[in-house]
Amino acid sequence: MTHVSIKALSKTYPGASKPSLDQLSLEIPSGELTALLGPSGCGKTTTMKMIAGLLEPTSGDVTFDGRSILHEKPEHRGVVMVFQNYLLFPYMSVADNIAFGLKMRKVPRVEIDARVADMLALVKLPDLGTRRPADLSGGQQQRVALARALIVRPKVLLLDEPLSNLDAHLRFEMRDLIRGLQKDLGITTIFVTHDQEEAVVLADRVALILDGSLRQYAPADMFYKRPADEAVARFFGGHNFITGISDGVLFQSALGPLHLPDGARKGPGKLTFRPENVKVGVAAENTITARVVERVYLGTQTRLRLVVGEVAIEAVLSPDLVEGLAVGASVQVTLPRQTLWVLE
Amino acid sequence: MTDRMRIVLLLAPAMLVITVLFFGGLAVGLMRSFNYMPVIGLTEPNFDAYVAVFTSREFYQSFLLTFHIAFTSTVISSVLAIWAALLLRRQFLGKAVINFLFQLNLTVPHLVGAIGILYLFSQSGSFARLAYEWQLIAKPGDFPALVFDPYAIGIILQYVWKEIPFIGVIVLANMQAIGTDYEAVGRSLGANRWQAFRYVLLPMIFPGVLSASVMVFAFTFGAYEIPAILGQNFPAALPVLAYRKYTDVDLAARPEAMAMAMVIAVLSAVMIFLYLRYWRRSIRR
Amino acid sequence: MRRDPLALRSFRVLTGALLIVWLVLPLVPLAIWSFARGWRFPDLLPQEWSLKAWSYALSDTSGVVGSLGLTIGISAGATVLSILVGVPAGRALGMYRFRGKQVVELMILAPTIVPGIAVALGIHSVFIAMGLTNTVTGVMLVHLVPTLPYMVLVMAGIFANFDPSFEAQARSLGASPVQTFWYVTLPAILPGIIVGGMFAFLVSWSQYILTLLIGGGRVVTLPLLLFNFATSGRNDITGAIGMIYILPGILILLLTARHLSGQSGAVGGFGRL
Repeated sequence: MTHVSIKALSKTYPGASKPSLDQLSLEIPSGELTALLGPSGCGKTTTMKMIAGLLEPTSGDVTFDGRSILHEKPEHRGVVMVFQNYLLFPYMSVADNIAFGLKMRKVPRVEIDARVADMLALVKLPDLGTRRPADLSGGQQQRVALARALIVRPKVLLLDEPLSNLDAHLRFEMRDLIRGLQKDLGITTIFVTHDQEEAVVLADRVALILDGSLRQYAPADMFYKRPADEAVARFFGGHNFITGISDGVLFQSALGPLHLPDGARKGPGKLTFRPENVKVGVAAENTITARVVERVYLGTQTRLRLVVGEVAIEAVLSPDLVEGLAVGASVQVTLPRQTLWVLE
Repeated sequence: MTDRMRIVLLLAPAMLVITVLFFGGLAVGLMRSFNYMPVIGLTEPNFDAYVAVFTSREFYQSFLLTFHIAFTSTVISSVLAIWAALLLRRQFLGKAVINFLFQLNLTVPHLVGAIGILYLFSQSGSFARLAYEWQLIAKPGDFPALVFDPYAIGIILQYVWKEIPFIGVIVLANMQAIGTDYEAVGRSLGANRWQAFRYVLLPMIFPGVLSASVMVFAFTFGAYEIPAILGQNFPAALPVLAYRKYTDVDLAARPEAMAMAMVIAVLSAVMIFLYLRYWRRSIRR
Repeated sequence: MRRDPLALRSFRVLTGALLIVWLVLPLVPLAIWSFARGWRFPDLLPQEWSLKAWSYALSDTSGVVGSLGLTIGISAGATVLSILVGVPAGRALGMYRFRGKQVVELMILAPTIVPGIAVALGIHSVFIAMGLTNTVTGVMLVHLVPTLPYMVLVMAGIFANFDPSFEAQARSLGASPVQTFWYVTLPAILPGIIVGGMFAFLVSWSQYILTLLIGGGRVVTLPLLLFNFATSGRNDITGAIGMIYILPGILILLLTARHLSGQSGAVGGFGRL
């Protein structure tokens, strides 16, 4: 149950022209499962390593429950990191791997055996104690890695791309396991990923890091409904950015006047809405007439490219809703007020 | 052409060389050690040579001395090589220098190193002169005998000088392939620096260290020129003794020399066997 | 990595410095002796310097230059032979799996474990019968025994990483086997040939007992000459010859350094024994 506070953390590697991480500040409440999301090289793994003590920051601080941990050795911080390739010690059995942290702390043998057995049951691998890591499947190895980390009751758990090595059907199983364990044990957990789906599915809150700086820190749905800026919206697959002017109530652009939700910003900006929120049909407000210029069948969805004058918008709809709609046809679509948002 | 034929053709020249020269040499040596040489009319194999060898005090003393040399050199070199590799895998000032010196050392023949050790550690050598300069000794004879001595200190020093880079380069390559992440995991689980090395890294590099050590042991056991230059005449290292017997005016000594050569060969074979059977299997599962 | 405690860092620096000194140390007196004119105990450095040892070593009467040429020739010859024999064997071991492979590997690598003297005495008898003793050819052939395993080991490592699909691609584009080898295979395995050749050359270069026995003292390579002078007490000439003797090794190192440092496949291959 540790509150993690990251204050203006920066890292510039020796010889680099610009920082890998620039003044990152983040407050992670105790017991939460947080994702550090971003493309490769954005600084998220660097952040993890600095929290774990494997790397020294150029400036800034990291505190656990208000106390700075930067001066403590890695083995004293109470932070355990689980790497993407699990790194189970190849010459030890599963049980010995899990027991490793306890052995280093000189816990009595009897207690070790009992706790290892408990852990194996918790990660649903009760009979595999004597096996070697090389004999296990990827999913099993990950559970052992988790067990090895959790048995020492860390203050903070760090996971590096926990779901990316797994097949689709294993992902949900592991997702449930990780969330279940995390909530039961209440361990503040931070994981790093480049996959927004992984972040959305696993985390309580997501911190999006682009180019070394934090862009938005919020529950997952906010990135879809209320992205902080265009880069964030694009990262999450947003496609529609219409230039125009907002007065807080209406947005004026080549699409015509559109009603905005409460709290929308005022002034010149870009209107954004997600392709999947475009509705076919007429409604009380925000209905526009557009012409279909392209349609692509994607199996579970159909993607449409529509133009209004010179402005193009993208819509993604269930195939049966647009079956008869041909290229060149005119169609009326509605952009529901609550799905609109204005960016700078 | 089938794959099988292709493989046979590719291997033929090498197998020819190995079978004729290497195994052929061993076989002939074996035969001669049993006094069996039909080509010159000796058609009755006997154990005379072996009896002479195994009842000779000189042989046992040589054997023990040679074993001591090989064992001590191998152990010291391996331990120091692991430390050197640990040193070299991090970035630091002077790393390029040490790397270069390591590789340089690999190209310097043992003989040169042995002569260098001789000039450094003999009783009239550089260290003795330093001792005189610092008024620790009054004359060459006061300086402890480090070469031509019963403990073969000079010989061991020479081997250590040469084998630390040899084993070090292998262990370093190993360490770099493994990376530092495993130890990082160990540290984050609560292991301190020493524990991370002892329980995480060491088991992983051990197979490489072992195979290098086996090669070093065999080499230091069977090398001729280093003990010939740096060693006592009595007891002499086993290869020196064998050569001496072989070139003895008395031709009857030749089978004894062959017998000693066979002992050396058998010892190496035992090393390989032990390595393959026990250590490799327990490590490789 | 985070900063380690001062004690550990100082220890590392100290041992690092010691290591550097230790690695160079034995070569120093040899170098000094070669420029000394008499260097008696207890002088730390020679009172008189001279180039006499060098001029003698490089003259016709000492036989050093001739021996140098002979040794280069023998080692080069042994290296070429190792390449011709070792490359195909490396290909077989690196690219194929077959029954008895482990046995073959063991047989080829055996000379790296079994010391030369165990084999040389027997070979000597055989070579007497074949008239190869006391000949340069005989010495060159016997040098193959220790050099071949290294060549095969390196080439096997190289071929293990070589994708035969390249050759298949070349053939399907119309190249003959020879062309395929020359334009596709050879460039890919060349780094291995260089590294392996370097090992082979150095192994042959430092051979003593094999040359002594098979050459019968008639084929006087540089190590034999060096040994003789060293035991004769002429330290100055020994120093000069010693310096000459290590020169080709240093040259090879400088020429192929880039191949050796990054070549964990070749060097690390030793760890796979």
